[in-house]
Amino acid sequence: MTTITVPLAPVRRWIGRTQSAHRERGATAGNIYFTVLFIAVVGGILHKQLAVVFWPTAPNASALAGGSLVAILFGLLYLALRRFGPLALSRPAASWLMQAPVSRRRLLLPSLRLAAIVAAIVAVLEGIAIIGHTAPRSLSGEVVALLGIGAGLVGVALLLVALAAQAGGRWGDAVDALISLLLAAGLVGLVTATARDQPLATTGWPGTSVLVPVIAGLALVVVVLSLLAVRHLARTPNDRILEASKTAGTLFDSAFGMEPSFLTDMIERRFWARRKLRSTRLPARLPALVAQDLLLVLRRRRRLLWLALATTLPVLLTSAPHWLVGVAVLIGLLPAAGTATGNLKTDAGNPGLLRMLGLSSRQAVLQRMVLPGVLAGVWAAVAMTVLQALDVLPAGPWWALGLVLGPVGAAAAVHRARVGFVRNELLPLDTPMGTVSPGPLVNLVIGPDMLLLGLPTLIEIGQGQPLSWLTVLTQLVVGLVGARAYLSGSTSPERVELKKA
Amino acid sequence: MADHPAVEVDGLHVSYGSTPVLVDVALTVRAGTGVCVTGENGIGKSTLLRCVSSLQQPDSGTIRVFGGDPGSTPEFWRAVVTTVEPPTWYPGLTAREHAELVCRANGLDAEEQGVDEALERFGLAGHADAIPPSLSSGQKQRLTLAIAFMRPSSLLILDEPEARLDSEGRDTVAALISEYLSTGGSVLMASHDEVFAEKSGCAITTMESLSA
Repeated sequence: MTTITVPLAPVRRWIGRTQSAHRERGATAGNIYFTVLFIAVVGGILHKQLAVVFWPTAPNASALAGGSLVAILFGLLYLALRRFGPLALSRPAASWLMQAPVSRRRLLLPSLRLAAIVAAIVAVLEGIAIIGHTAPRSLSGEVVALLGIGAGLVGVALLLVALAAQAGGRWGDAVDALISLLLAAGLVGLVTATARDQPLATTGWPGTSVLVPVIAGLALVVVVLSLLAVRHLARTPNDRILEASKTAGTLFDSAFGMEPSFLTDMIERRFWARRKLRSTRLPARLPALVAQDLLLVLRRRRRLLWLALATTLPVLLTSAPHWLVGVAVLIGLLPAAGTATGNLKTDAGNPGLLRMLGLSSRQAVLQRMVLPGVLAGVWAAVAMTVLQALDVLPAGPWWALGLVLGPVGAAAAVHRARVGFVRNELLPLDTPMGTVSPGPLVNLVIGPDMLLLGLPTLIEIGQGQPLSWLTVLTQLVVGLVGARAYLSGSTSPERVELKKA
Repeated sequence: MADHPAVEVDGLHVSYGSTPVLVDVALTVRAGTGVCVTGENGIGKSTLLRCVSSLQQPDSGTIRVFGGDPGSTPEFWRAVVTTVEPPTWYPGLTAREHAELVCRANGLDAEEQGVDEALERFGLAGHADAIPPSLSSGQKQRLTLAIAFMRPSSLLILDEPEARLDSEGRDTVAALISEYLSTGGSVLMASHDEVFAEKSGCAITTMESLSA
């Protein structure tokens, strides 16, 4: 049987024409104009901050920090490319054009082109930022340009590897694991570089005579790989493209509806759909819901590892004002405690199972606060111990202050888990910068607002004085009273549902 | 509790916008008996069940469950089990663990309560390790019912419990409802399958006959 391939270009043109017929005249040009204007205005306002990020007045990173940044930034780029496809169609195209008798290669080529452009731009920006922090200002413009081009080529190469992994077998997962390890190593390297004063990476930069042949070779490899990728583009399995299209669509929904939970819920669903679980008995000595939370946390060991690694991140702020270190520790409580709030999020969204459990909302939330509290306390204790070991914090029982932050983390993460959807019905606010919808902003602060209970810790770290047990006791009392007040105010022994009817 | 009817509905009015769905509805389910409400799609069966389960506020009328107001108290939900709203399953928890959790939260031992037997009875023994979202819609319905029957209660409010089940599954559920009634439980359900309702031992009544 021979298949007649329908030319795709006329179909696309027809779709474009029909869609634009329904839009207002000049709507597309208007959108482009506003996007460019927005970037220009934001760039103008933030140019000083952008300079600090991309090109500080003098290099300030050692070779170790530079190498670590390469691993972290390019590792993140690869993992992001993998998570979002990298090859995706729009949802309508995935629904209608993928099943049509059109050339698969022509169908997918525009997506590949777009992905390559995005990967190259991001990689060039990352490369310039790393060079800006490490290279001496005596480096010639040609060398910087060549290094930037090299970074862009590496970005495209990463995209091609991610593309092959999307179409390929299980080796893709192995590469993901390897890149995650590199990322972790990069984080460790960066923390080590910050903790130790190392010489700046001002020497050992290659000249143009070395760079030109290297970049040319890299370009050749990328071109050959790209040609191969385009040739084999049609082999990307349908299910992978459909999955990536759903991801892209959900990302769009999240951005358009200012509702990040669409995306996080999808990631969560996919995570569990891929896991093979074996039923175990819930730990008998613990209350039922604590036992359930524990089971959930133990099934997310990789997240626990990242959490352990993240205890070192506040160290990166050692050269910043002390109070910023305190803020970092407090903010870290949220993801630490949030590791165990997945079940509560389910209860907040639909109380169907809570009714089946027959517990009051107070009992349920109290039990659901236990594990987040333990995780937050242990996380903060380790983070503080690391800070003290590196002499960022003065003498005193900082580990104990970390532990007593447990109730603060529990209250904040539980409050966050119960927040629900963004309230887009709130009245918009008129500001000099334009109209602002307060819904997403209000949604953003629900949860972190409870971190104010950690104020005694923040003040103590900010002052830089040796820690006394009195502060630990104060923090313990403030945290416990605050968490207790939150529990009493937001739950009832006479109500099963978490929200008031 | 036994002195009062399990469910007593009187003068119930519910409308969606300008469309009246329930007009002056009255219904009594005596304790220890079962009533099955039948009627075409959109006639208000689920709305009635939602009102009795306190999941929806009627425009007017009185509803008493075991002589008290239906509410959201733990006492109410320890006496009443409903499948009117499909549950959202907990992330990373298998089908068996969901059943065990419900037993544990109700102060029961999962082994003594016969979790594995219940899953087997509903044809879910081979899916005990599956996460519920990965099950088919019929299997999810079976799991919901398995959990609902495993838990101690005095009143079951079931919305089309036979939906999405094969004939064997329907027989199992009908037998369980019949057994539940024989042990003193009360049942209020909505169904399109009169044979199923008869097998389960519930008295059949049409929605039209409930309106005054």
